[in-house]
Amino acid sequence: MIEVDQLVKRFGAVTAVDGLTFTVRPGHVTGFLGPNGAGKTTTMKVILGLDAPTSGRALVNHNSYQDLIRPLHQVGALLDAGALHPGRTAEAHLLSVAQSNGIGRRRVTEMLQLTGLEAVANRKLKGFSLGMKQRLGIAVALLGDPPVLMFDEPVNGLDTEGIAWIRQFMRALAADGRTVLVSSHLMSEMAQTADRLIVIGRGRLIADTTTAQLIESSTRSDVLVRSPRAAELADLIKARGATVNPEEDGGLAVTGLDAPAIGDLAAEHGIAVHALIPRSPSLEEAYLDLTGESTDYRAATPSPQPSSPNPERASTR
Amino acid sequence: MTATAVPLAVRARDVLTSEWTKLRSTRSTYWTLLVAVATPIGLSALVAVTLVNAPRHGAQVDPLLPGLISQEYAVLAVGVLGVLAFSTEYSTGLIRITFAAVPRRRAVLAAKAAVIGAVTLVAGEVVAFASFALVQAVLSGHREGVSLSRPGVPGAVLADGLLLFVVATMGLGLGAIVRHTAGGIAALVGLIFLPAIVGLLPAPWGGRIGRFTLLDAAQQVTALHPATNLFAPALSLLVLLAWPALTLLAAALLITRRDA
Repeated sequence: MIEVDQLVKRFGAVTAVDGLTFTVRPGHVTGFLGPNGAGKTTTMKVILGLDAPTSGRALVNHNSYQDLIRPLHQVGALLDAGALHPGRTAEAHLLSVAQSNGIGRRRVTEMLQLTGLEAVANRKLKGFSLGMKQRLGIAVALLGDPPVLMFDEPVNGLDTEGIAWIRQFMRALAADGRTVLVSSHLMSEMAQTADRLIVIGRGRLIADTTTAQLIESSTRSDVLVRSPRAAELADLIKARGATVNPEEDGGLAVTGLDAPAIGDLAAEHGIAVHALIPRSPSLEEAYLDLTGESTDYRAATPSPQPSSPNPERASTR
Repeated sequence: MTATAVPLAVRARDVLTSEWTKLRSTRSTYWTLLVAVATPIGLSALVAVTLVNAPRHGAQVDPLLPGLISQEYAVLAVGVLGVLAFSTEYSTGLIRITFAAVPRRRAVLAAKAAVIGAVTLVAGEVVAFASFALVQAVLSGHREGVSLSRPGVPGAVLADGLLLFVVATMGLGLGAIVRHTAGGIAALVGLIFLPAIVGLLPAPWGGRIGRFTLLDAAQQVTALHPATNLFAPALSLLVLLAWPALTLLAAALLITRRDA
C-alpha cells in the first residue's frame, strides 16, 4: 500500500506537487495520470525517498521510505530505464543492485530469464535498445519480490510488442495481490491496463476513482435524438428542464433527460423518432475534460490528439 | 527473516559487496589503475637518472624524492577514478537506483570510499615500494642510494604509498559534491595543484601557507630530510589526511540534503 498525505513539493518558485493526498491499494493496477509536468514523477521520487517533501509525507506499507531496511523487498520501482552505466553489463548491473539488498546471484539469473534477457546478460548496456533497457528496469524492480511496484511511464518509446508485454506483466502483478502504480500522460494507455485511476494536474488531485466511474461522471454524457419534427421535440424537451444542443446534421444532443424519457415524451405527442442514442464519452475525452484546465502548456488551437485516435467516437459525432 | 532483523554488519557488507561489483565491472577502473601504477614506476627511474646526472652544487639528493615526484602524476588517474565513482551515477541517473536500494546515502558514500580507498591504497603501496626499489637501484650505482633497513626509510616509503589513497578518496568526495565529471575533475586539479603555486611566494609566506597544501604535506611526510619551513612530518601526515577527510565530511553533509 502507498499512502500520500498532504504532499507538497516546491522547487524554488515552482510548486510541483501541491497538497496531494491519495492511497494506492493492493490487488489493482492503479493508473497515475496527468499531463506532462503535472507532478507524477516528483510524487514517485518523494515516495522513493529520492526527493525530500517540502511538507506532508508519503508512506510505503505504513513506513517512511527512509526507514525501510533492504527496501527492494518492499518496493520495486522503474523510474527511468535509461539510467544505467553504459559500460557495465546487464548482469553486473543487476548483480550490483541485488547485492546492496542481500539478494543473491540465483535471483539475478532468474530475473534475467523472466525478462528474456539471459542471452544478452553479458553484453554492455550501451548496446541495449530502449525495450531491452525497460526489461532490465523491470528485472531490477522485481529483484526483491516486492509487494509494491511503481512504474513511471513504462511504455514510453516502446514498440507494440513491448507495450503488450508490459501491460500483461502489470496486470499479472496486480492479480498476484500486489500494489501496482503506473504513471502515464496518456489516458488511452491507461484505459487498457488500469482499473483504478488517480488523476492529477498541476500537482493537485483531480480525481481518485475507477476507470468506469470516470466515464460515468463525465459531463459529456448525452443522448443523440433524430426526428423529422426536431424543432417541435426540442421545445418539449426544453420544457422538461433539459438542455438541447442542435447538431450540424439536424440531430439534437440532449443532456438532462435520459433516452427512455425522451422516447416516452415523443410518443405522448405522436412525434416520430428516427434515432435515440445514449452517448458516453471515451475515457480519453473524460480525461481531457478533467485535465483541460490544468494543462500547463496548451496548444493555442485545438488539434487532434495524434496519440489517441478514437475512430468509434469520431463516426458518431 | 524480517527486514528489521538484518544486523548492521550484514547491511554494511551488502553495500560494500555492491560497490565492489560496480567498481570491478567498468573498464575505466582498470585503465585508471593501470595508468596510476605503470607511469610512476617507470617515471621514478627516469627522475632518478636525471637527478644523479644533473649538475649539483654540493646539494644532496633526497633518495626518496624521485618516487614521490613521479606519483604526483599518478594522482590524477586515481583522482579521476574517485570522481567517476559518483559523477557517472549522477550524470546517468543511476544514482536514483542506488539511493532507492540504499536509502541511507551515507552508507553508499562510506562503502564507495572503503572500496576505492582499499584498491588505491594497495596500488599506492605497490607503486611506492616498486619505485623505491627501482630508484635505489639507479642511485646506488652512484653511491647515493639508501637501504630499506635504514631508520626512517620504511615509514617514508609507506607514507609515499598513501598519496594515491588520499587523492582517490578526495576525488570521490568531490564527485559526490559537484555531481559532474568535468566539474569534479576540475575541482580536484584545482585543490591539488593551485595551492602549490603559493609555495612560490617569497619567504616566509610560501612556507606558511604551503605547509597546508596537499603536495607539500606529502613531500614532508616522505622526505628523508624534511624541509625546515614546513610542518614536522607527523603534523604533515595529519594535513595530508585532512584533505580527503574534510572533503568526505562535506560530501556526507550534502548527500542527504539534496534531491537525487
